Amino acid sequence: MTRIDLGPAAAEHVLALADDEHLIGAHHSTWIGVCPFLEEDLAFCSIAQDELGHAIGLYELLTDDVDRFALLRAPEEYRSCAYVERLMPGWADAFVRHWLYERAEQLRWDALTTSTVPELAALALAADREEAFHRRHAEQLMERLTTPGTQAAAIIASAVNDHVASAASLFTPVTDEATLVADGVVARSAEALLDDWWAGLGTWAVAHGVDLPPRPTAPGPAARRSRTDDFTTVHGDLTAVISLDPTAVW
Amino acid sequence: MPTTLAERTAGPPVGRTWDDMDAFEAFLDAGGIVEAHDDMPEAYRLEVFRFIELHANSELMGGLTERDWIPKAPGLRLKQIFLAKTQDEIGHAHLLYMVAADMGKKSRPEMLDDLFAGRTRFHNVFHYQAVTWADQIAIAYLVDAAAFASQRAVFQNCSYGPYKRVLKRIVAEEGFHMRHGEEMLMRLAEGSEIQHRMFQEALDRWWMPAVQLFGPDSSDDDPLMRWHIKSQRNETLRHAYVQKYVPLLQGYGFTIPDEGLRHDPDAGWLISDIDWSELRATMRNGGPDSRRRIATAAGSHADTAWVREALEAAA
Repeated sequence: MTRIDLGPAAAEHVLALADDEHLIGAHHSTWIGVCPFLEEDLAFCSIAQDELGHAIGLYELLTDDVDRFALLRAPEEYRSCAYVERLMPGWADAFVRHWLYERAEQLRWDALTTSTVPELAALALAADREEAFHRRHAEQLMERLTTPGTQAAAIIASAVNDHVASAASLFTPVTDEATLVADGVVARSAEALLDDWWAGLGTWAVAHGVDLPPRPTAPGPAARRSRTDDFTTVHGDLTAVISLDPTAVW
Repeated sequence: MPTTLAERTAGPPVGRTWDDMDAFEAFLDAGGIVEAHDDMPEAYRLEVFRFIELHANSELMGGLTERDWIPKAPGLRLKQIFLAKTQDEIGHAHLLYMVAADMGKKSRPEMLDDLFAGRTRFHNVFHYQAVTWADQIAIAYLVDAAAFASQRAVFQNCSYGPYKRVLKRIVAEEGFHMRHGEEMLMRLAEGSEIQHRMFQEALDRWWMPAVQLFGPDSSDDDPLMRWHIKSQRNETLRHAYVQKYVPLLQGYGFTIPDEGLRHDPDAGWLISDIDWSELRATMRNGGPDSRRRIATAAGSHADTAWVREALEAAA
């Protein structure tokens, strides 16, 4: 991809999705070598690489210098949502985030496949092909970990309940989203996507005997411009090496 | 390749037997390849199993050594690349544990339990900590090259078929890693003063562990040589490595951290005598980062036991 002339609202939307993909890929990457079993190490690592690749593709629509743009912006210039900034050192949390994120991500990419910005539509179609594998991985493992009455099912159900409110931040809209929808840059509003995401979770919860909390609401657009405390740690890692000599080729 | 239904559904071929060790060694000397179902001498089975288990453990723990700096990779594509490389190492462990388990001595869970309990070994280089990003590059450049040389020497004449077949893939991938290490080194060597200094400091830390990776001089009665697992003596591989990497590193303006290093017109580059007590202590899990490395792996393994138990119950 190459940088294109997006309007401010479209650029903001692309940046929000790029930063979310970047940070989820960064979190997934920390699990290499310490997943519950070797096959999962290999699978989760592949997913991390894919998510980083999607972030690169989106950043390339915005800049000619992906690495410096992705890593060296000031915190207030990121547009990530709160959910992808959270540090999750335990596997149950990391996996449930992966599962919830994939379900949300499918809706977010799908809403871009018919975008009036051809480069964005093309990227969404390409990403969606890879995401199908991610979803299959998440859903299959989730199914095997939620046999009713097992310790694993209880751990997962508890984590899902803990996560849903925060995960709704994946549907935090950007400023001027209504214009983007009207112009066909994105097919549907974040609120409409959240409705679908929640309906899907409801179906899953009924099938697995899990009680969910009330439907969460997504924060308003201003939340995309503020960072959580955990972001400081994540950003510290992202910039640890490149900031030693920002002009160098690493 | 089996072509008929009868061939495809037939059980494994009946394993070969040998009258005694002399007959077995004559078979090996003639270029024979041992398969998992063969009735191999117990001493051979145990020695080869231990060697493969050490290799598998080292691939896994090597992945953990490189893992530390992946979150700090100074670029998104670099992060993808180092992830892919580490994924290769974990993939090698995955393959090697299967080959080792098929030898009937221990299952994969038993091997992992022994590793995380500190009862088995892994290569010395993975008992050291990567202190800076340049250490990550030193591992890619120095350690991967040493590992590549070692593994290629085993692959060349390996008498155990399942290991040789897996090594074909591992050696090919390690070759990629080695070239990647060379490219990454060039960036630091030809980069800024900060980068050059970082790599020199990393070289100071990693040169000797990399040289020690080949081990002390082989004994004349090394069973791994006699049974065609290793094809070259440790000191031969070490010497070849030194001949290649001393001039390369010096050519980039780096100083080899060995005050006794000298060049002999006939023998080439000669390094100082190595004090092998450091290697012996390290291999007993007494290296600088052994405790943390094993604790990280063991802790994660214990914390995620519920996942493995759930999957086993659901199978």
